[in-house]
Amino acid sequence: MTETNEPIRILAPEDAVDRISRRMFMAGAAGAAAAGSTLLSACGADESADTSAAPAGEVESELNMFTWGDYNAPEVIKEFEKKNSLDFKLDSYNSNEQLIAKLTAASGTSGYDIIVPTGPFIPALAENELVQELDLSRITNFGNLEPQYIDQPWDPGNKYSICKDWGTTGYAYDTTLIDVEMSTWQDFIDVAKDQASGNMSVLDSPDNAVGFWLWANDINWMTTDTEELNQCEDFLLNEMAPHVKAFVSYPGGGDMQNGNFALVHAWNGDARQGIIQSEDKERWKWVFPGPRTEIWMDTYAIPVGAPHPNAAYEWINYLLIPEVSLKELEYIGYNTGVKDIEPMAKKAGVERLDIVFFTPDQVATMESGELNDAQERRVEIYNKFKSAAGG
Amino acid sequence: MAMDTAEAVDTGSAAPSPRPGGSKRRIQAPKYALAIPAWTLFILFFALPVGLVLLYSLGEQVSAFVQKPNVSPSVWSFDNFGKAIDPAYMPIFWRTLKIATIGTFICLIISLPFAYWMATKASPRWRGVLLGLVLVPFWTNFLVRTIGWQIILAPNGLVSGWLQDLGLRDAPLALLYTQSGVQLGVVYNYLPLMILPLYVAFERIDPALTEASKDLGANRFKTFVQVTMPLAVPGAIAGMLLVFIPLMGDYITPSILGGSAGSMAGTLVAEQFLTTFNWSKGAAMAVIMIGFILGALLVFAILGLLLRTILRGRRRVRLPEASA
Amino acid sequence: MSTATTTPVVHRKKVDWTKQALRAWAVLMYLFLFLPILWIVAFSFNTGRLLTVWNGFGFEGYQALFNNPAPREAVVVSLIVGVLSAIIATVLGSLAGVALARRPGKWTIVFLVFVALILVTPEIVDAIALLPWYVQLGQGWNLTIFNNGYVRLIVSHAIFSTAVVTLIVRARLSGIDEALEEAASDLYATPTKRFTQITFPLMLPAVLAGGLLAFTLSLDNTVISSFVSIQGTTPWPVYVFASVKTSLRPDIASISTLMFILTVLAISLVAVVLKRGGDSSGDIAATMTGTG
Repeated sequence: MTETNEPIRILAPEDAVDRISRRMFMAGAAGAAAAGSTLLSACGADESADTSAAPAGEVESELNMFTWGDYNAPEVIKEFEKKNSLDFKLDSYNSNEQLIAKLTAASGTSGYDIIVPTGPFIPALAENELVQELDLSRITNFGNLEPQYIDQPWDPGNKYSICKDWGTTGYAYDTTLIDVEMSTWQDFIDVAKDQASGNMSVLDSPDNAVGFWLWANDINWMTTDTEELNQCEDFLLNEMAPHVKAFVSYPGGGDMQNGNFALVHAWNGDARQGIIQSEDKERWKWVFPGPRTEIWMDTYAIPVGAPHPNAAYEWINYLLIPEVSLKELEYIGYNTGVKDIEPMAKKAGVERLDIVFFTPDQVATMESGELNDAQERRVEIYNKFKSAAGG
Repeated sequence: MAMDTAEAVDTGSAAPSPRPGGSKRRIQAPKYALAIPAWTLFILFFALPVGLVLLYSLGEQVSAFVQKPNVSPSVWSFDNFGKAIDPAYMPIFWRTLKIATIGTFICLIISLPFAYWMATKASPRWRGVLLGLVLVPFWTNFLVRTIGWQIILAPNGLVSGWLQDLGLRDAPLALLYTQSGVQLGVVYNYLPLMILPLYVAFERIDPALTEASKDLGANRFKTFVQVTMPLAVPGAIAGMLLVFIPLMGDYITPSILGGSAGSMAGTLVAEQFLTTFNWSKGAAMAVIMIGFILGALLVFAILGLLLRTILRGRRRVRLPEASA
Repeated sequence: MSTATTTPVVHRKKVDWTKQALRAWAVLMYLFLFLPILWIVAFSFNTGRLLTVWNGFGFEGYQALFNNPAPREAVVVSLIVGVLSAIIATVLGSLAGVALARRPGKWTIVFLVFVALILVTPEIVDAIALLPWYVQLGQGWNLTIFNNGYVRLIVSHAIFSTAVVTLIVRARLSGIDEALEEAASDLYATPTKRFTQITFPLMLPAVLAGGLLAFTLSLDNTVISSFVSIQGTTPWPVYVFASVKTSLRPDIASISTLMFILTVLAISLVAVVLKRGGDSSGDIAATMTGTG
């Protein structure tokens, strides 16, 4: 339980305060009902979801971020620390589920001030009282974001999240081992069964592991159609599984460079790392596959119970400064969504911008993920696919 | 529990004269008194939480985002076990058993000559150092050692290059993300646990016994097989247990070195808790994994006893006919 | 030895062959044991961004230790947790071991079954059991001490270690005749003196070995730690494991090399102490594996 129980003091317009208190009450009631049906509910729904927010202004001396591994430029963190004389602490997770697991288990006492959830998870986080509503007036650089990267379907009005970066899913292949030209998801599947058989990797996440077949067949990857999902499972377990060598989410973190695979399923920034860090930069070829693929967005959010909210707002603000954003882009290789970042990156001579920025045509083929009713089914297929692979 | 209470600390001494100190002044403390703190720790932080896990396995998952399963008695069922032994998952349990058994066996085979040499053939002055050298890798971080192997086994790496240059391989090293890679990793990681007990066993063998055997006409090989080895069996058993059991539950080595072909039960269980939120299914899988371990141990114990009975019948030292 | 006088040369050659073969095998074994360590030490001088991709020789990995506080802090957390959990495990385990060896009874079987269960249970099961348990204790029943990262780690590590120390001390004491302690009583020693001057010194090697083992187990503990650790008290293996899945940096190799050197020094120290205490290498190994 949080140690202090100060009344919520938020610098927010009157009606926002009302909204917040009413939501707390509703959540509390819902939480109590849910709690009643479980034996060990404990503080599952933290009714006194207390932000204990100090009045806006004084930045605290510490900031704790729970994020993906190696997802911020160390230089940027250092400069932020110096600028605000604070101590920046980082912990990392490997999946959104892990993030949610940690937050739910901690029930508001996780001690983190900033988390980095992927967009579609925001509604679930909000519903489970795990993230705070943002006071956008405190994020003065909010206007630096391109309009198309705010107000996303899973968080209208940016109530809880601010874009950190966005990217897509594709694949890369080793041209020294694969001599065909590849451009679609069907190519990915065909080569996986043929030249790259037993030497390829699939992303280690349920939606992506299931998605590529659906995309290859021009089906929305978030489909809830039972028949389509059954066909997908059938294909993955019986035709695809024998050819998969491993489920790896970051092949650009060494596997590509070391030649562990011939074909890798990857997110664009990570594939880019693998390509530009190889001895021979022409060895790996990146493919933006059709007819459909993903658009995902990672965001900054402030968890409920954050002990240093001022520092959190300061950090979010800081990252929206164009120069800082460029440094981030250079390190992680993803589009940060800040205005004019593309010309800036070009000017700075950042390599392989074709894997960072996408044309409107390409963006038009991208679809976002969501946590819909098919989630459980997808997870089940993913589990079985993983178990069947290599067997 | 009067039977369990101990007498005074000074046990039956024959002297009838009064003793100034050490007389029966200690209050009758139960025999297990000193073990109470450890007992408490075990109950509070092992028995209860693990019992909870068993409870979870009977419960059901509430939703995709609430981790704590519903464990009220009204929903108790064996559904989760049914899901856990789904044909899609069973191969992983069997594979784990295979990797663990082979791994234990390999550890045993390669450690035997090594431990024997260290305990009997190496100069006694250096045995301490030699033993220490075995322990030194054991005392570095498990993960880091395994990552070291990840680097060594890289297809583009040095070792791969050497092997190809030397003509031992005609293609880059492809051990990573395979079952063999995991096999190598686990043998490596658990090797010291096999070497130590074997060393102890060999070292404790009274040289007089081997001498006696030779005096009775047995050659070196026969002595080794019929005298030394049987005496080392307890050590070998200790080693096998120390290796097999944790190996069955290993989750780290396969996640670094093994790909799909090398995944083990531990990874499966962990995933249910970390990735897919299904604590009740994960708990059921954990129970099954423990079942496999205990089952395997039982089978090996039976096999071992059978082996012993057979060998006992054959292992009779035949005295040569008295000769000049 | 009837052949000795007639064919001495043949006899000598035969002995050499086996011994040489065994020696060669030993060399191979040592090479095998040290191979990854050597590689990690070599790669600690890697100047690349990624640990596993060689980029050139340099000291950047070591410099990063000064620039990046995260791995350093992780090591500190691990050391603190290691020492404290080792102390707890040693104390609890030694007491239990003494009780098992000197005061066996009906309770012994039950206790030993428990210890066996603890040793048999896969670490992953402990991990998935402890996390919700701590949450229940810390938040459900408001025992806020269990929200403390250090407490969680120390308690978690102490469980397995206590079981190990118990067996080691028990094995050691069982092998020592109680006659020595009885003699002390006969000579009018008080129970306390009997313990401090006879029993304890006799079991000291086991206690030390157990403590050292407990410390190592704690330092190496990855699975349970990764489940129960709290932000701010991330132990070293958890830090490394988190990096493995995303991107490993050379500073991990650098820290590992430093820790490696430290552990070598520590073990040498303990070995010297034990040797002084008159134990042979065999005894040391025996106590460490609980078979002595």
